[in-house]
Amino acid sequence: MQKFLLIIREDLKTIGRYTDEERFSNMPIMQKWIESIAESGNYVEGNPLEVKGRYVTRNEVLSDGPFIESKEGVSGFDIIKAENIEQAVAFAQACPLVLQGLAVIEVRPMSELTD
Amino acid sequence: MSPARAEVDKLYKEHFGKMVASLLYSSRDIDLETAEDIVQDSFSAALTDWQKNGLPFHPTGWLYKVCKNKALNKIRNHKRTQGLRDDLNLQDVEVKFAETAFDDQQLKLLFACAHPDLTPKTQVVITLKYVANLKVEAIARILAMTIDGVDKILLRARQKIKDEKILLEEPVLAALKPRLGIVHKILYLIFNEGYKSSWGKEILREELCEDALFMTKGLINSGLATKETNALYALMLFNAARFKARFGASGELLDLEKQDRSLWNTELILLATDFLVGARSNLLSSYHLEASIAFVHCTAKSFNTTDWKTIRQLYEQLLRNNPNPFVELNYAIALYYAGEKERAFAMLHELHRHPFFNQYCSLNVTLGKFYLLEGNAQKAKTFLERASTQTSFEKEKDLIRRLVSDAEAQVRSSNGKQV
Repeated sequence: MQKFLLIIREDLKTIGRYTDEERFSNMPIMQKWIESIAESGNYVEGNPLEVKGRYVTRNEVLSDGPFIESKEGVSGFDIIKAENIEQAVAFAQACPLVLQGLAVIEVRPMSELTD
Repeated sequence: MSPARAEVDKLYKEHFGKMVASLLYSSRDIDLETAEDIVQDSFSAALTDWQKNGLPFHPTGWLYKVCKNKALNKIRNHKRTQGLRDDLNLQDVEVKFAETAFDDQQLKLLFACAHPDLTPKTQVVITLKYVANLKVEAIARILAMTIDGVDKILLRARQKIKDEKILLEEPVLAALKPRLGIVHKILYLIFNEGYKSSWGKEILREELCEDALFMTKGLINSGLATKETNALYALMLFNAARFKARFGASGELLDLEKQDRSLWNTELILLATDFLVGARSNLLSSYHLEASIAFVHCTAKSFNTTDWKTIRQLYEQLLRNNPNPFVELNYAIALYYAGEKERAFAMLHELHRHPFFNQYCSLNVTLGKFYLLEGNAQKAKTFLERASTQTSFEKEKDLIRRLVSDAEAQVRSSNGKQV
């Protein structure tokens, strides 16, 4: 099995206005999704990200970055194991946030060097 | 239930998937949906006919014959509408009456369901449908899904099954082997679904465990099995041996500590031990480790004399095999009972800081229980009350309520002492 990074993108402008409680109000259904991935041994780890952050380029360090304004900013990530990218995509498709149209998920195979 | 209805239900359970597969196998002109319609039709025809005329001498044969004729008609009509020459070789649709326990047809179906592009949940749904022959309504009930949800999954999965070469051709051993891991996972998940206490004591769920055991045994007998299959089978048997003790006199859920161990099925435990010994291998899979943990529990005389040090080591290995927060929770529990309480609490609190696991009912129950055992009833109550809002299952809520009242009693008695 290969590892995949699921990059969860949401409208940060909206969730930036939420309190933690509001933001995590949909946690129980997300929890169910993660549990179902873990049950079959496909879940590795994951975390929601805070909306604030720093943005670094060669010439400047923007303390706020473009995050707060971003329509499709990274709001969290999960690492899962899957048989192939189709299966990884199928896991991502079942994410409650995606089903509700609140988030999109980018599915990226993680590079691994073979011996 | 009328004898006709009972017979139809029984045959459906044994033959639905096989009949669908037979049709697919016998003619390339039939697609999966059509095959299912034809088989469904045959069962309705059987029910009507048998209720009116009584059971035929050979119900299975009757059913297959009707099914075959319906398929032939369908193909003829189809060819006609397509304007093709009707050169259908009738022998093509000859179906064998397969009445053995778990036959090649079912085995092939099992491997077809293990399509690597599908999520484990989808694999489970289609295995229940085509190999275990459960109806959509039953699958929905078992997996706590809506009928519509199950239908949607089936709709998407049908295309994949349709593309499957192994359903249409004789399976080559080499083609099946790479899928064995997925097949194991499906069987494991089906057993788990049946075992999970959440939905309470339901006959249907024990049947699901039996289905998983039956299919796993079929796999072992097929010659395709590996040591891992044996370990998986042992794991299932150890858990099945404890079935009767998991609920109390009034149907309430009992945790391991309170179970009456004399109700455990010693014959099943011995059988499981045999399979675990037979599974011995240099490569330890997660099934080996989980079965070994179950072995230690099953052979302990009491909760207090359980060899928690060994269990703790096994969980440590399992965590290395399969690192994830859910295994961590179990590891922390083993640490606590093995006497490493500080490390256990540290791990549990670490998990608790995570926005996801904070919401996890079992984590809060565990913290509540451990604080109760440590005599910190106030803290225990906080975690338990939080946990009770995190499950929708009555039996679990009930178990938590009992723990909360334990905590309240402890608070009262310590207050009493102070006075």
